[in-house]
Amino acid sequence: MTTSPSGPAALPKIQYFRITRHRRIAWWGSAVACLISLIGIGLCWLNPAIGAPLKPGLDFTGGTRIQLERACAPNCPAITVPQVEERLGDLKLPEEGGAAAPDLRGAPVQVLDQGRSIELRLPSLSAEQGNAVISQLAGSLGPFKDGGTSVDTIGPTLGDQLLRSSLLSLLVSFAAIALYITLRYDRVFAFLAILCLAHDVLITTGLFAWLGLLLGVEVDSLFAVALITVAGYSVNDTVVVFDRIREQKTSLGAFPFSDQVDVAVDATLTRSLYTSLTTLLPLLAILFFGGSSLFWFSVALTAGISVGSWSSIGVAPTLLPLLSGKGFVGSAPEDGSAPAGAA
Amino acid sequence: MARQQGLFALILALAIAAGAVLFSFPLQLGLDLRGGSQLTLQVLPAGAIKTVQREQLEAVKEVLDRRVNGLGVAESTLQTIGDDQLVLQLPGEQDPTRAAKVFGTTALLEFRAQKPGTEREMQGLLRLKRQAQSVLDLSRRRTSAEPAQPAAPGQPPAQTPSFPAEDLAKALRELGVSVPPGAGETEQIEALLDEVNKRVVALYEPAALTGKDLVTAGRQQQQTGTGWDVTLNFNRQGGEAFAKLTQSIAGSNRLLGIVLDGRSISEASVSQEFAAAGITGGAASITGNFTAEEARDLEVQLRGGSLPLPVKIIEVRTVGPLLGAENIRTSLVAALAGLALVAVFMVVVYRLPGAVAVVALSLYALFNLATYALIPVTLTLPGIAGFILSIGMAVDANVLIFERVKEELRSGNTLIRSIDGGFSLAFSSILDGHVTGLISCIALFALGTGLVKGFAVTLGIGLLLSLFTALSCTRVLLRLMMSYPTLRRTTYFLPSRQLTSPAA
Repeated sequence: MTTSPSGPAALPKIQYFRITRHRRIAWWGSAVACLISLIGIGLCWLNPAIGAPLKPGLDFTGGTRIQLERACAPNCPAITVPQVEERLGDLKLPEEGGAAAPDLRGAPVQVLDQGRSIELRLPSLSAEQGNAVISQLAGSLGPFKDGGTSVDTIGPTLGDQLLRSSLLSLLVSFAAIALYITLRYDRVFAFLAILCLAHDVLITTGLFAWLGLLLGVEVDSLFAVALITVAGYSVNDTVVVFDRIREQKTSLGAFPFSDQVDVAVDATLTRSLYTSLTTLLPLLAILFFGGSSLFWFSVALTAGISVGSWSSIGVAPTLLPLLSGKGFVGSAPEDGSAPAGAA
Repeated sequence: MARQQGLFALILALAIAAGAVLFSFPLQLGLDLRGGSQLTLQVLPAGAIKTVQREQLEAVKEVLDRRVNGLGVAESTLQTIGDDQLVLQLPGEQDPTRAAKVFGTTALLEFRAQKPGTEREMQGLLRLKRQAQSVLDLSRRRTSAEPAQPAAPGQPPAQTPSFPAEDLAKALRELGVSVPPGAGETEQIEALLDEVNKRVVALYEPAALTGKDLVTAGRQQQQTGTGWDVTLNFNRQGGEAFAKLTQSIAGSNRLLGIVLDGRSISEASVSQEFAAAGITGGAASITGNFTAEEARDLEVQLRGGSLPLPVKIIEVRTVGPLLGAENIRTSLVAALAGLALVAVFMVVVYRLPGAVAVVALSLYALFNLATYALIPVTLTLPGIAGFILSIGMAVDANVLIFERVKEELRSGNTLIRSIDGGFSLAFSSILDGHVTGLISCIALFALGTGLVKGFAVTLGIGLLLSLFTALSCTRVLLRLMMSYPTLRRTTYFLPSRQLTSPAA
């Protein structure tokens, strides 16, 4: 290796900080964040109005979402949520297949974009009933823009399917990534990478549990996409630091492992920060210019990627010396389990 | 250097090819970007079939395919998902009601003769049916806000059909229809019509002839009036059955009922002249006084054949074209703003190689779009998000390399050696990062549904291409620049103050 011309006699100068000296702060910070997340998820679950770890959106519960754009932009006369709710209660819907039309009273209503559009969350409606809602609302709240309408009706079975397939794909990618890292590095690295990944996913989930409790934010299938992306990013970020730590072994093998970790984290710190920044820049662009459909998606990714950078700097490297025993990657872990050798 | 030039020529050729691809193959936009309807249909088991098998799903798909083609919506797609579901996309279709009617019904067509001795009852029912239907038609025309045909000035408005309240109440009572309290006139009439139709169907014999023997269906405008008829052509066997059926009721007061999915859609009388041989020739028409659109939908259903199994619509998504255009606009702005911010960042932080990276990233974006057009990938909102995100990840590879180059420079290596060292040292972490990313993409694609799949495809393509652009484009461009002595300055790579600080 040509990285260190002064040879293994001296430890490279550390520019920023020695991460292992701050490890307790890092661990406590992460532990507290995980605890707060778990509390949020627990509160969501215990909340009788939610009854799930996160407030499930239409994609998971099934139902009909109708979005209407009013044809009076930019100066729409003010329209209020109670106004819309009142109209909703008076609607007459056609029957469908012998079943009585669902009661729309009390369905959640949102007025978006400074009163320019209305979003309704209704029980599952047939296409005909959905049209009836739009045409009847147009009479009292309209006019609505032709072509500015979106109607989504999702059966509850589809939500189950989505949830199952998202969870399954998340777990399968966890396992496959763990296997890959075990082959390329070793078991301890794989364990820590997955631990970090779980940490990042947990905190992102916790944030949305709290958002659901406090602001009524619901998670949809895009949230599942965001979580999986966070998982991928988290591993990517962690692996880069691990790669550097492994590289130090040859040049700094004589130094304590915690020093090697410090050098590696220090050397990759700029890159870690720049990378999360360049990934966050497009996300922030979506956040600010992307419109309402991608807003919470970008919030989830922004949070997840920030937490992911944190864990790959502060959590994974500092836990490594603890789990890897005295100093060398690949030596027996202290907890006495089987030696962590690459398969 | 010849090798670099060769590679550079290759990249240039690829860029031109990508541009040509984009020019000649338009990008396919998903329904959330262009507007349209998407229906998810679930095939339900029925009769002897307890669980839906692959072959049955394919059989249903075939029938629906014929209906889709008959409907004439451009670029519609029908795909099977899993074991028992179908997804139908109808770009530009704004009214999912119609699509739901055409695709959600089994279209089992039956021809039935009226039971003997039910003439009086049938007449009463049909009178009620006509009255109810005309009142309903009128009220529908009114609510659909189509201006009614204006009466000529000075003349009294045309006689409008009506259903006096006491007649309606009496009819409901006689048929034993219970309506919920507070139901309006329209609901009451609809309930009445439902019951009347049920009773009409009950007055027929079992089916003598079904849509199986139908060869083709068409439609024609009625010679009198504005309504449309649906015409039918039977095969030989069907023609014979039809002749026998019509012969059996010709000249009597009994009617021929045309029943679609258990609902009576038309009843016809057969005149005395056919008593000898029935209506022969295998052709018939259904006079239901349909609108042009109804006639076409019915024709499409009949021509497509009946579904071997019933289907249920479990998801309908409709996006208006304006909303779609808005989605395109905002995601385009976001993508461009994100790219611009990243470009500025790279040039400020990494100077000359940063500028090279911006060129490589632009190539990366171009290759990505060309791949989408070529495969083709249908771009949806999450797909665009995946693309924007993959830009961020593509930058990471460049950041990794340039950080290493800087390190090499700081530790006193020459420029060319530093560049080569940067690429080779960064390679293993770039590879690991991309492989783990690809692993999750594969898992998402294999196991995910709908949105998740689209996201996985764009992110996966992005990761593969970024591996190529970071390791080849950036490198070739950088090496090529180093062949010009004026560009071979360390300060183009690193601020001089960092260079002079001893790398102890």
